[in-house]
Amino acid sequence: MPITNSHASGCDWQKRQFFWLLALLAVFVLSGCATYSVGIATVEQQTSNRDLDGALKSLDKLKLTGTDQMLYYLNKGTLLHYQGNYTASNQQFESAKSLMDKLSAISLLEQTGSIMVNDTMKSYEGVPNEQLLIYAFEELNYLQSGNVDEAAVEARQFDIKQRLIAGKDLSAKYLYGAFVRYLNGMTYEEVGEKDSARIDYRKAVDGYKAQSSFTGFGVPAALKADLDRLENPQTKSRPVAAGKSAGSKTQSPDARNNGEVVFILNDGLGPTLAENIVSVANPDPQHGTAILSVAVPKFVQRPVPVARFEISDGSESATSELVEDVNAIARKSLEDRLPAITARAVARMVAKNAMAKKIKNQSENAGSGALLLSIVTDVGAIVSERADTRSWSLLPGNFLMARLALPSGTHDLKVAYYDHSGNVLATRNYDAVKVMAGRKVFLSDYFLTVH
Amino acid sequence: MATKKNVWKIAATVVAALMLAACSTEVKRVGVNDVIDISGAWNDTDSRLVSEEMIRDSLSAGWIDRYNLSLKKTPVVIIGNIRNLSQEHINTNTFVNDLERAFVNSGRVDVVASKNERGDIREERADMDLNATEATRKAMGKETGADYMLIGSINTIVDAASSEQVRFYQVDLTLVSLADNRKVWVGQKKLKKEIKNATFR
Repeated sequence: MPITNSHASGCDWQKRQFFWLLALLAVFVLSGCATYSVGIATVEQQTSNRDLDGALKSLDKLKLTGTDQMLYYLNKGTLLHYQGNYTASNQQFESAKSLMDKLSAISLLEQTGSIMVNDTMKSYEGVPNEQLLIYAFEELNYLQSGNVDEAAVEARQFDIKQRLIAGKDLSAKYLYGAFVRYLNGMTYEEVGEKDSARIDYRKAVDGYKAQSSFTGFGVPAALKADLDRLENPQTKSRPVAAGKSAGSKTQSPDARNNGEVVFILNDGLGPTLAENIVSVANPDPQHGTAILSVAVPKFVQRPVPVARFEISDGSESATSELVEDVNAIARKSLEDRLPAITARAVARMVAKNAMAKKIKNQSENAGSGALLLSIVTDVGAIVSERADTRSWSLLPGNFLMARLALPSGTHDLKVAYYDHSGNVLATRNYDAVKVMAGRKVFLSDYFLTVH
Repeated sequence: MATKKNVWKIAATVVAALMLAACSTEVKRVGVNDVIDISGAWNDTDSRLVSEEMIRDSLSAGWIDRYNLSLKKTPVVIIGNIRNLSQEHINTNTFVNDLERAFVNSGRVDVVASKNERGDIREERADMDLNATEATRKAMGKETGADYMLIGSINTIVDAASSEQVRFYQVDLTLVSLADNRKVWVGQKKLKKEIKNATFR
């Protein structure tokens, strides 16, 4: 008899230890989420204040490692891009791409964790629409540092990656990567590959048309003009460059003596994800968890402060066009992923309920420990049910682009950002920008407000 | 009981050893000709295969002898632009430098500093004008003009589907006469790789 008692108490001890461990794990999971959301808010605030050194330090302090490593690379790459540290930014994005490749293989451990605990147990590899934008940032880094050949390498890499990603979900129109294709077209033109440029401009046009039903805007006028120029080279009359201010002198960007300034604005912050928890009391709490809950992410759009901007050298000016609605694409992407996320959450709820039932049934004879075990089981089930709200936090809400054709020479440029009421939010000056005939100069900036 | 304890001790030791092994950085020297493929991307082996082929082909082709016969002197080559038209960030300097070294060491081809290299040299020569003694000073305008420029490109074709890829690389190098644009030597190396990524990790 003493042997039996000893065995029973050992079992209880092991069970208790296991569940305390589970509860502890859940607390860690929760605290991890809270730390990221609080920490990244600090990074966003500092970025908004243009304190990029401070933002980089705050990001480092978040210690985004393990399953969150990708978030570190993506956000750090973005901050370094904003800082104009293009080489270091590309190192981060290259690390992100390597990790993306590594994470494309399935981890059985993480998949099990995702079903048994929650989706944050899986390594974050970036959602497909985020993955495509890595190439845009890296390409822009090369373009802004004047390294057009390397930018073209990014364009070619994107072509392979986009085909692989889009091939997995042919109905996902937002995976055409219209904006990156548009950028690729300009890059190919810069390296003298007109055929490749024409093909990417065409694919960009197709992409913009395909996604217009949920982005609410069509093909940028400047892109139409580019495609027309390459598809009909014999046509002499060209449409006026898109976004041209009324009253300014008509200058086509491909005129022989003209170069072109391409200015891209990262406008606001992209969406963030919040948690949507649906909980109901279990009608049979003695044989399962007390509460049945399902947690899924929900879309939270953040304000996009700049409605348009104008770039001018004093005599010539151009107005921006919307070239990528990151918010609309992210919303559609989440809508498409939500059925699978929900199905996984329901499967998780069933699994946790079954596990709780087994534990409660087995602990019925455990005496005073039964109640404690039951509480721990229920608490563990509730607190471990979390939605995966991770995202590339520093992505802009949208990208605006203006293209200003200018004669070759050095120009002092002024850029004015306007809000949705037409008020000037900010102005930036770019002095001594060197424009060469037949070439493009790429400039970029960001503007965001954090409330 | 004692046996059970021993089992636990051994298990704990093994786990500790594994943890320590996973934490420590391991470095070992390997031969430069060892083939080590990690990601499937362009690597040192590809570069070496290209340079071996290009060196063998360029030195055995008839352009050097033809030049010697007609002009009774050594041809002079300058390295031009080797364009990377692939989908990978490839450093072309590795095999170009190998080829340059082979030209110089063979004694049959002279190589002059490239556009990127000569800026510093000219700066140094200008500095000599001010600071070096007359006996050791090197005058401007005495550079050797090249007879041929080496230009080239790396092209790739990638066929990818889910976790499989076939990558085809074609490296073309051409020696172009600076006098009349004639191509006197065209070297080519093709490489093909099949890459299968792991389904599980």
